[in-house]
Amino acid sequence: MSVHYTEQTARPLAPVHEAPFHQWAFPDGTLWTQFFRQGAGYLLRFPDLADFEVSADGASVQGFPAPGLTSPTVEHLYLNQVLPLALSRQGKLVLHGSAVDIGGQGVAFLGESGRGKSTLAASFATEGTRFLTDDGLLLEWVDGRCMIIPSHPSIRLWEDSQAALVNESMTMAPAVSFTSKARFLAGPGIAFCDEARPLRRVYFLGEGDALAPAIEPLRPAEALIELVKHSFLLDIEARDMLMRHFDDLTRLAELPIYFRLDYPRDYEALPAVREAIIQHALEQSESTAT
Amino acid sequence: MNLSDKVSIPTQVMARTVGDETVILDLASGTYYGLDPVGARMWQLMVEGQTLAAICDTLLDEYEVTREALEGDILRLTEELRAKGLVSLA
Repeated sequence: MSVHYTEQTARPLAPVHEAPFHQWAFPDGTLWTQFFRQGAGYLLRFPDLADFEVSADGASVQGFPAPGLTSPTVEHLYLNQVLPLALSRQGKLVLHGSAVDIGGQGVAFLGESGRGKSTLAASFATEGTRFLTDDGLLLEWVDGRCMIIPSHPSIRLWEDSQAALVNESMTMAPAVSFTSKARFLAGPGIAFCDEARPLRRVYFLGEGDALAPAIEPLRPAEALIELVKHSFLLDIEARDMLMRHFDDLTRLAELPIYFRLDYPRDYEALPAVREAIIQHALEQSESTAT
Repeated sequence: MNLSDKVSIPTQVMARTVGDETVILDLASGTYYGLDPVGARMWQLMVEGQTLAAICDTLLDEYEVTREALEGDILRLTEELRAKGLVSLA
């Protein structure tokens, strides 16, 4: 990835006098990330955890852990939150999504936190279907085709997903201290695809109301709105970049590849969900292949 | 507001057409709106700077509809867009 990252020594998170220009909060209102301007660049603050200074062009990032925070936690924040934001500042397209390689085709799952993106990707990867990313879905156009670029070979799972999916052949990365989501490195138990794959299907994950796997097509305008909602974007006030981003997403939305996918959130149902996805993705790509 | 009005698109509003629909993004509020194919066509003519009356004339040639119904529709859509800050009267 084309971002130069350095981790600096710990320092207290000093008060910032200006108001943040943007912030992310959890549904319960707890602050997760604050976005400040700092000179021409940016300061991303994860309260009580770390600061990240991002250069104006998104090409370099420095991480400053809060005193007492472990290095894996900072690295984890960097890889999953800061890196996608920095890439977005370089004009790259990064979405909140996971992806797997089904028969050489890239199949992506987009959804908000907690919708099951990582669980689904891990469920495929532990059964031998290789994953490309578990979050931070990086897309690039190559010779007129939209490609999924593989991210770092690890998957993070919440504790209940771990119990259902993990077996002893997996290597666990050092636990991070701010979340019950542990990180698993790819290895014998979790298959990773390290080559770019053409984007063939995008499934937006529903809320889990369906009693059985259900897949419905989305109209291009619906897909565009969903793509906007699921974008990583560092500077939501940079109008030129925002316009370009909107254009990129519009081009993407015109592909006939978008579906809404819902299924019961029950680990025992996962084999049937995988089966339904594989069948649907292969059928669809055969019928649209030219 | 009446049929001799024209509208303009505020700088914080961006719109893109996908398929036969239009998605409007309001940067100020971060909200999104969709226009169906007929609304998308009306929007396209509004962006070109035509008066609402001229838009009606154009659309009468394109759709099976009475002038009265069309005028009502276009005034309603324009009012709705204006209320959401997506257009302003030029």
